[in-house]
Amino acid sequence: MSEVISNLAIVWTDPWLLFLTAAGTLSGIYVGAIPGLSVTMATSILISFTFKWPVNDALALITGIFMGGVYGGSRSAILLNIPGAPSAIATAIEGYPMAKRGEAGEAIGLTTVMSVIGGFIGIAALATLAPVISSFAILFNSRDYLLLGLIGILLVGTLSGESFAKGVFAGALGVLIGMIGLDPMTAEGRFTFGNVSLMGGIPYVAAMIGFFGVAEALVQLHQLDVAVVRQKVDRIVPKLHDVKRYLGLALRASGIGTIIGALPGTGGDIAALLAYDHARHSTKDPDVPFGKGCKEGLVAPEAANNAAVGGAYIPMLTLGIPGDAVTAVIIGALFIHGLKPGPLLLVETPHLFWFIVGALLLANSCLLVFGLTGIRIFSKIVECPKGVLIPLIIVLSAVGTYAIQNNPVHIYWMLLFGVIGYFMKMYGYQVGPVILGVILGPMMDSNYRRAMLGARGDVSTFLWNFVSHPISFILSLALIIMLLSQTPLLRWFHHWRSSDHQRGI
Amino acid sequence: MPGYSPQRQGERGFSLLLIVFSATAFWQSYAISGFTGLSTPGVFPMLASATMLVSAVCLLLQNIDRRNIPGSSQTSAASVLPLRIVVMLMLITGYLFAMPLIGFILSSAVFLFLSFSYLWRKPILVSLLVTGGSVAFVYLIFRKLFQVVLPKGSLLQGMF
Repeated sequence: MSEVISNLAIVWTDPWLLFLTAAGTLSGIYVGAIPGLSVTMATSILISFTFKWPVNDALALITGIFMGGVYGGSRSAILLNIPGAPSAIATAIEGYPMAKRGEAGEAIGLTTVMSVIGGFIGIAALATLAPVISSFAILFNSRDYLLLGLIGILLVGTLSGESFAKGVFAGALGVLIGMIGLDPMTAEGRFTFGNVSLMGGIPYVAAMIGFFGVAEALVQLHQLDVAVVRQKVDRIVPKLHDVKRYLGLALRASGIGTIIGALPGTGGDIAALLAYDHARHSTKDPDVPFGKGCKEGLVAPEAANNAAVGGAYIPMLTLGIPGDAVTAVIIGALFIHGLKPGPLLLVETPHLFWFIVGALLLANSCLLVFGLTGIRIFSKIVECPKGVLIPLIIVLSAVGTYAIQNNPVHIYWMLLFGVIGYFMKMYGYQVGPVILGVILGPMMDSNYRRAMLGARGDVSTFLWNFVSHPISFILSLALIIMLLSQTPLLRWFHHWRSSDHQRGI
Repeated sequence: MPGYSPQRQGERGFSLLLIVFSATAFWQSYAISGFTGLSTPGVFPMLASATMLVSAVCLLLQNIDRRNIPGSSQTSAASVLPLRIVVMLMLITGYLFAMPLIGFILSSAVFLFLSFSYLWRKPILVSLLVTGGSVAFVYLIFRKLFQVVLPKGSLLQGMF
């Protein structure tokens, strides 16, 4: 127990780590708030700069950025009606009308306090549940990891994109990209075309920066001319009776956020939308109608998306399965630092787990300080013209990609992925599943082959194992239900049932 | 992503391109170890590329279906690849290929100045000042603070 507390306290007592976490949170708020910059983009670029740092320093900074970024999106949603991040879409629906009524300060204050409450609940869930899940996850075998990987990619693909087929395509493309290079089991080349530079595989940081940095910057060029409307901000610290009044809702929304965040493949954006929906259904008699600046509709998504941060760390640290695009990038960072996220992380390196929990707690506390101050300078920075911002993103992406191995070839990979990502985004394909596929693909491949070898290459034994082992069975069932719910089969079935009823059968 | 119409110019062409790509990927995956076993290195790539192929075919069929729906307005080619994107892509490509030759600082300065002038359209002096400030900022933060090695130009022999 004393060891746990001393590891939790490292980040609070070491001045340099304290500074890094605080700086990360502060810059995260701006990154999340500036439309055109995303947390995923910032994290993927930062990883390349921090990979030579000691693990603790890098983790402190990245944790701060993640926590701050999820919150930061709410500010531009309230002040500019532009959600700085997808998780702030619901916030814009209620926050912007409040700002137009001159209640921007109140809206910002309330979202800050509720985000912090949500954040703490998510972290508490991480601290209590992760050790339990991790001891349970040791029972998982290769089949189960294969299933978890599939479920993760499919969830990201189905929930974030405009069509299931596009999500599946993106995920499979990622898996294929992850296969390039020498096969780790037999050292046989896959898609290397005899080229030595391809044997080490595709540098996945270059892929991340290409898909999230360059592609996103190119897409942003379409919206260069969006006019910015400035809002008046006055009182920021929220009224105590407001906090008390919405605390119950915030707690329920945090519960939703933590669970959604913890599901592999779903993150803050979906958590926020579901919590918003919950607020709409559970609030019988709102003071202001929903969509017109209703505080319930502001509190719920903000508490939920910050709770989802702690939640998202659960599958990432215990199973090695990233919860969403940002955690997919963070898991990449952990790998680069030689850590192996998975059930053994808590057994082999418990100090790191508690360090991360401590850093999350600190980042969340910083949020309260930074969230309630510095609004005036904030509005100025957020209005940074896109004509300046976009070229700068390109320069930073190039530096970031080069920094990993000082190899100019990686920059060309980044450009290629950037262009591919741009067209995919323009045609409605999400790039999140691609990155998830790149990270999870090699893991799924080796687990599939291990499971197949375990069944001595016999297909019927292999398939039977999915049904005969309880954990595999439950996971398979979840996968099948997910697949069925996305195919027209279910619709046909309903149609067939209803037409039967009509005929009186 | 909100704001995009479900039917876009060239979407069918894009789906076709994806089908060709997926089919090639499948053929290349088959070439790794063929159908010689179920736990060979080629099996998973084949599964992935087959999944891509099937979903790309589904998408093309959906597209063809949608063609005849009245009112499914097609956006113009310019909305997928407007001039601004083409110009910026050319600038970016030029920048990235020039970087190993003339070094990070010089190439970034030229790229930033050209793109600020094109996208931002402020007086030259303003663009120049912002360019100078940005390059200095990136250099100080990344070279001095983060100790990142920035590409040096082979032509100018480490001058920049």
